[in-house]
Amino acid sequence: MTFSPDLFGLKETKKITTEIDVVNLNKSFGKRKVLDNVSFQVKKGGFLSIFGPNGAGKTTLIKILSTLVAPTSGKVLVSGISLDDDPTLIRKKIGLISHSPLLYPDLNAYENLKFYGTLYQVPHLEKRINFMLDKVELSHRRYDLVRTFSKGMQQRLAIARVLLHQPAILFLDEPHSGLDPHAVDILDGLINDIRGDHTFVMITHSLEKGIALADVVMILENGKIIFYQEKEHLDSDKFRKIYIQTVKGES
Amino acid sequence: MSSLRQIAAILKKDIISELRTKEMLTSMFLFVMLTMVIFNYAFGADRNNLTPFGGGMLWITFLFTAILGLNRSFVHEKDEGCLEGLLLAPVDRPVIYLGKMTGNLIFLSVIEIVTLPIFTVFFISHNYFPQIGWFIIALILSNLGISATGTLLATISINTKTRDMMLPILFLPIIIPLLIGAVVSTGQIMAGTKNFESVYSSLKFLGVYDIIFLLISYGLYDFVLGE
Repeated sequence: MTFSPDLFGLKETKKITTEIDVVNLNKSFGKRKVLDNVSFQVKKGGFLSIFGPNGAGKTTLIKILSTLVAPTSGKVLVSGISLDDDPTLIRKKIGLISHSPLLYPDLNAYENLKFYGTLYQVPHLEKRINFMLDKVELSHRRYDLVRTFSKGMQQRLAIARVLLHQPAILFLDEPHSGLDPHAVDILDGLINDIRGDHTFVMITHSLEKGIALADVVMILENGKIIFYQEKEHLDSDKFRKIYIQTVKGES
Repeated sequence: MSSLRQIAAILKKDIISELRTKEMLTSMFLFVMLTMVIFNYAFGADRNNLTPFGGGMLWITFLFTAILGLNRSFVHEKDEGCLEGLLLAPVDRPVIYLGKMTGNLIFLSVIEIVTLPIFTVFFISHNYFPQIGWFIIALILSNLGISATGTLLATISINTKTRDMMLPILFLPIIIPLLIGAVVSTGQIMAGTKNFESVYSSLKFLGVYDIIFLLISYGLYDFVLGE
């Protein structure tokens, strides 16, 4: 059974409010179909939490949305721009926080941010770097090599790296995994600070966090959307049951 | 202009990382020195006899040194997942190529500048200093070809399980024409040739090879980094 986002009338207001529009998206690696006819939309300023067992296609979906992987077929619009038309322009508007901090261990915190800031052509870069280092509470470690940072500190610096160019859309791939409670607080605080102005798509295995942050929740299983619902209409128990079933099915 | 800044940022990042770790430069330098020592023992110390073979000895050494360096050039990008960070940035793929290629070119050139005088003292009897300008042109054109081709192939091989083996397998057959041009031009200069026609034509060949492989690599890089 597939659930269409059209149930919620999102398509009627698509031109004004849709930030991410995915239509009949398919992705195969060789003979293995990873995403099967996936369609959904995310409103501007919305927060979509994606749940699902390992191997459901969640990370592949995020990689397609962030232009890292090309779809096999289907249409994907990010900020109204097709993936095929101008991926470089899409990259200016997005940020991805993944399991890996994507930082160079032999550069210090400041050099890492300066490097990425130059690639993104961030205006007033020095000020922005100082601001972001303050935000993630790493100003005092700015000239220390990243290889000397703990996992939590690296993830905090990764958050600064991602937010440096003020992306309109943030993709979060299990952003809380491996974080200490302090780093979790900082990440959640930053998400709350920029909620409303930014659109979020988050992959998570934490039901509590995922539901608390989301406007819309979705479950992917074997590359198909098996559950898609706005939070205000969400029956938490039913959702929990379906999620547990999919995870048990995997194991 | 912004692309130039992005190329400079990638280059600066690679140089800072290398100066901190010295992993690539140290292994390249040690390899060149070891090869020279082996050559010295294998061929004896008669420089007059060795001078005609100088070009071949030089480029066998520098080519395998370059492979060592090229294999290391994408290590951080792959092992720390930083390639994904580069690919997520609004940077045209050829800009990444030019940044990495320039880094490889500089590292190879640095090793050559340091080791070439030692090589000359050990193996070359002729004073080729009056022709040093031509020699430097030959060196630059050869290094450019090695870096242009090697950076593209290092990017391909980095995504394979046997990346250390894959690069030489892909690289050596393609680089043989350039190697011949490099050996002929530098070898003749070091041997003190009076016939510069042959040197010119080798340099022209190196230039054409560089242009062709720069254009091919520049054009293919987007595809190579595709997935």
